[in-house]
Amino acid sequence: MRRAAVLTVTVMSTLAEISMPTDDSPPIEVDILIVGAGPAGLYGAYYAGFRGLRVAVMDVLPQPGGQITAMYPEKPIYDIAGLPSVRGRDLVDNLLAQAAPYGPEYLLGHQAVDLSYDDDRPVVRSVQGATVRAGAVIVTGGIGTFTPRPLPAARSFDGRGLVYFVRRLADHTDQDVVIVGGGDSAFDWADSLAPLARSVTIVHRRDRFRAHAATVERVREAGVEILVNSAVTAAAGSDGLETVQVTHLPDGTTRELKAQTLIAALGFTADLGPLLGWGLELRSRRITVGTDMATNLPRVYAAGDITDYPGKVRLIAVGFGEVATAVNNAATVIDPEAELFPGHSTDGPAERK
Amino acid sequence: MAYVIGAACVDVMDRSCMEECPVDCIYEGARKLYIHPVECIDCGACAEVCPEQAISADRAADPDHRLDNRRFFEEPLPGREEPVGSPGGSAKIGPVGADTAMIKAG
Repeated sequence: MRRAAVLTVTVMSTLAEISMPTDDSPPIEVDILIVGAGPAGLYGAYYAGFRGLRVAVMDVLPQPGGQITAMYPEKPIYDIAGLPSVRGRDLVDNLLAQAAPYGPEYLLGHQAVDLSYDDDRPVVRSVQGATVRAGAVIVTGGIGTFTPRPLPAARSFDGRGLVYFVRRLADHTDQDVVIVGGGDSAFDWADSLAPLARSVTIVHRRDRFRAHAATVERVREAGVEILVNSAVTAAAGSDGLETVQVTHLPDGTTRELKAQTLIAALGFTADLGPLLGWGLELRSRRITVGTDMATNLPRVYAAGDITDYPGKVRLIAVGFGEVATAVNNAATVIDPEAELFPGHSTDGPAERK
Repeated sequence: MAYVIGAACVDVMDRSCMEECPVDCIYEGARKLYIHPVECIDCGACAEVCPEQAISADRAADPDHRLDNRRFFEEPLPGREEPVGSPGGSAKIGPVGADTAMIKAG
């Protein structure tokens, strides 16, 4: 049995240590498996911990936060109860911190692919080889599986220099790094890599950026070259990546850049993916649930944007409530002696780990 | 909630928004693009890249276009039998090749 490797999430200001089980890791036994590490899933991890349940959280992306992290980490969010304004990534960090005392196990970079039952208990496998045996599963899958947009010009260097995420900053020490994209991820990584890489260049198709203006300014000041109205149109190298060709789109002129790493930060596409094969009852590609957030499958619940019922409103605030409902109802199925009502958090929560 | 494409898109159809949309919910008519009001997840990525600044959140959008974006999917387009409905991604059906009565007439 190999030891689980540790992955550090670099772009979150809270550095979460993430365990990455490998193909031959033993099954993970938990009370509740949460599929989807967006805001609803992370709050569910807190809630399950608060109820004294062992919990694991699986997500296809290597970073927690779901849509918030993938699409709007810098945007202020104004409709979370009790927080008049909270920046997206701060909300994610706070949700991680809220769950942290209960030690949830994070299986990030794992795509939940298969649901089966063993002795009436759900078993979920990931594409990457993790197996989780759970008392109940809560699907907080939002809009589904995120897939990074490809960069066809460099496809042949996938895994040999072309990456979609920065997993460890130190891997890029003294490298020439080219980052494609104009959003927050592109600029966050440029910001983090500039001090230790030999060079960092951003290539963006337009001359306007979706990234936060202050980050763009900081990256510029750190000496990162920003090539606008440009695209990576070819990549070359004998073994690993060595150079990329950048074309200035308005006039078609090209230049070669040295690059051992090419980061494609072109955003994501999402679709329900493997969940469609689980036998869940769907309506308009969303999971139908009852008032207890139960799906049509035994011991499988759903919460957050992925659910559907008459009157559904898709907001983070609603997802928080739904996942609390899902956890508390699941708790009574896992242990028929358990009470549906969890007690108040002010009364003294379950023992923290 | 959803984003809405307005008049500035007509006969331009830059399609940058279609490249950005993470859920592929922007559909191509003959003269204009339309955002699916149910499939849209309200992320706003399209609005930021539109060179015509034709896209706005529905609460800020021109009410005629808000209704018209919805009609494109819910009512049969001129000369068609069936409404476009909710295909779950514009790549699945390709360009629709027709517009709503409002855009066709405009």
